[in-house]
Amino acid sequence: MAGTIAQSTRSRTGNSSATNRATLESAPVRWTLIGIAALFLGLFLFMPLAVVFISAFSKGISAYFASFREPDALAAIRLTLLAAGIAVPLNLLFGIAAAWAVAKFEFVGKSFLITLIDLPFSVSPVVSGLIYVLLFGLQGLFGKWLQAHDIKIIFAVPGIVLATVFVTFPFVARELIPLIQAQGSDEEEAALTLGASGWQTFLRVTLPNVKWGLLYGVIICNARAMGEFGAVSVVSGHIRGMTNTMPLHIEILYNEYQFVPAFAVASLLAMLALLTLVVKSIVEWKAQQDVVEEDKSWSMEPA
Amino acid sequence: MSIQALNITKKFGHFTALDNVTLEIPSGELVALLGPSGSGKTTLLRIIAGLEFADSGNVRFNGKDISDRTARERQVGFVFQHYALFRHMSVFENIAFGLRVRPRKHRPTDAKIRAKVQELLELIQLEKLAQRFPSQLSGGQRQRVALARALAVEPSVLLLDEPFGALDAKVRQELRRWLRQLHDEIHITSVFVTHDQEEALELANRVVVMSEGKIEQIGTPDEVYNRPATPFVYKFLGNVNLFHGRVDDGKTYIHQSETEHVVYVRPHLLDIDRKANGGDHFRAKIKHINSAGPLVKVEAITEWGALIHVEMSQDRYRNLCLLKDESVFVIPRDVKVFQVHEGSRQKPA
Repeated sequence: MAGTIAQSTRSRTGNSSATNRATLESAPVRWTLIGIAALFLGLFLFMPLAVVFISAFSKGISAYFASFREPDALAAIRLTLLAAGIAVPLNLLFGIAAAWAVAKFEFVGKSFLITLIDLPFSVSPVVSGLIYVLLFGLQGLFGKWLQAHDIKIIFAVPGIVLATVFVTFPFVARELIPLIQAQGSDEEEAALTLGASGWQTFLRVTLPNVKWGLLYGVIICNARAMGEFGAVSVVSGHIRGMTNTMPLHIEILYNEYQFVPAFAVASLLAMLALLTLVVKSIVEWKAQQDVVEEDKSWSMEPA
Repeated sequence: MSIQALNITKKFGHFTALDNVTLEIPSGELVALLGPSGSGKTTLLRIIAGLEFADSGNVRFNGKDISDRTARERQVGFVFQHYALFRHMSVFENIAFGLRVRPRKHRPTDAKIRAKVQELLELIQLEKLAQRFPSQLSGGQRQRVALARALAVEPSVLLLDEPFGALDAKVRQELRRWLRQLHDEIHITSVFVTHDQEEALELANRVVVMSEGKIEQIGTPDEVYNRPATPFVYKFLGNVNLFHGRVDDGKTYIHQSETEHVVYVRPHLLDIDRKANGGDHFRAKIKHINSAGPLVKVEAITEWGALIHVEMSQDRYRNLCLLKDESVFVIPRDVKVFQVHEGSRQKPA
């Protein structure tokens, strides 16, 4: 059996273009389908991306870099980095803990917990922003108490961080749950019978096995944390140089017809997105390599 | 170390995996838990290991009750069906794992760990592959690494869950012999789970036959094969032909309308001849002959329309010159009679 598996993988990777004559569509159908896909991608993905960079550089390189010397722009970049810098590690910890609990244990309320984790996906970001205003705003539930103790959350940095944490909540957990579930608990059980404690098992066995998925979750979480607009917009108050993140700053510049600075900052976010894509591809390729290694071992088994 | 599992009951929801099972394993034995899937054999093994906990009953090692101890505290060596090697660690690190995770004051020095792993690598004859990863090994090699990893912590008991289940026939044979040898050398009390009767009979000192959460019989391979306690054991430990019959004055009569007794005959205990020879016999018509292999396998239809299997030596087959669709006499040499819904009795034909 091992022999046939090895053979089939070889033929699959070897001459994939020549195989499956029988399932091939006729040339016009193929080119129409490819054309539609290419047109769609060009229109909705590549063109907007190109426009961002063309507009950003429309008045030359010096104008482009001058946009970042603005104190307000610098403050926006700093705030975005701060919010992501707090939200990502928090949700990393939370995501690992939640995924571990959901994937390894059976308990009452498990499906409710999964639904809760998904909540930020299903709720509109504007609504999640409003929730914080209703809780911590002046007229809100804790408003009086917060004012009495001189703690500012809404229209201040803590509110932005809170909103970002909420919106990026599911990314790491969602990425890890299916991964940990698929890996089963054989290796953990083996570690236990060898005398490892729960913590040692987690650090030495579970975590290394999900490292690529974890990294991917973190990347996606970070991209969303930096790009979040809706929820942050509601709690920010748009105070220039104080509570503006990069997306909010871009909106203000754009509304003021300052196109070059607006697209210059936007190009930063676009580059972040591109970087995310590259890292994502590397991570997926790496994970794929592990799978291929696993496959290869089949062919090494004596038939 | 001796193992006792006393009155173990385990349920998963409404399914009873183990129903009041008691099993005692003397120190130094190599025991097989044999049964079809769903018979509870793996559950029993996992309860002994502390990977699963019984609903009632207790487990003792050397007479000491350890039912409440976790797998970590029991210090058993466990070999998993699919090896469960740590895929991100080299063979060396896999074997060293049990020593590296010890609390600091019990942890051997690095040099000692190295020496121990080296010794185990020699034992499993994989010294050259120490730096490979599990994915770069064949199934048989992985299984040996899993075994070395379990032995590294010097467990007092070795538990193996379907240790050869995922391997092809030839590797399985080899590993079986190797495990037997290993057990002869280190005399560690070992229990392995298998659904392969040949494996159990060949490898174990003692075979525990299980079915539907109960133990059917415990005995040496010779005992369970030649003196099966229940119809299940007889059926499970080899091919059988089933007849209905009746017992009168110590004589067994095969008759399809009788329901009081079931009569089992192994294929190799049925003779085929062209003459009746005056003995006990019935008539049958040859349907199919498979002469490839050490024994010739013949399928025939009895006079009352049942399909039977007969095995004979190649010599005998050549002497007879059997042909398809030929009518012959079938003579049972030895039969096993069980009363329906009751215990067993063996009667000559």
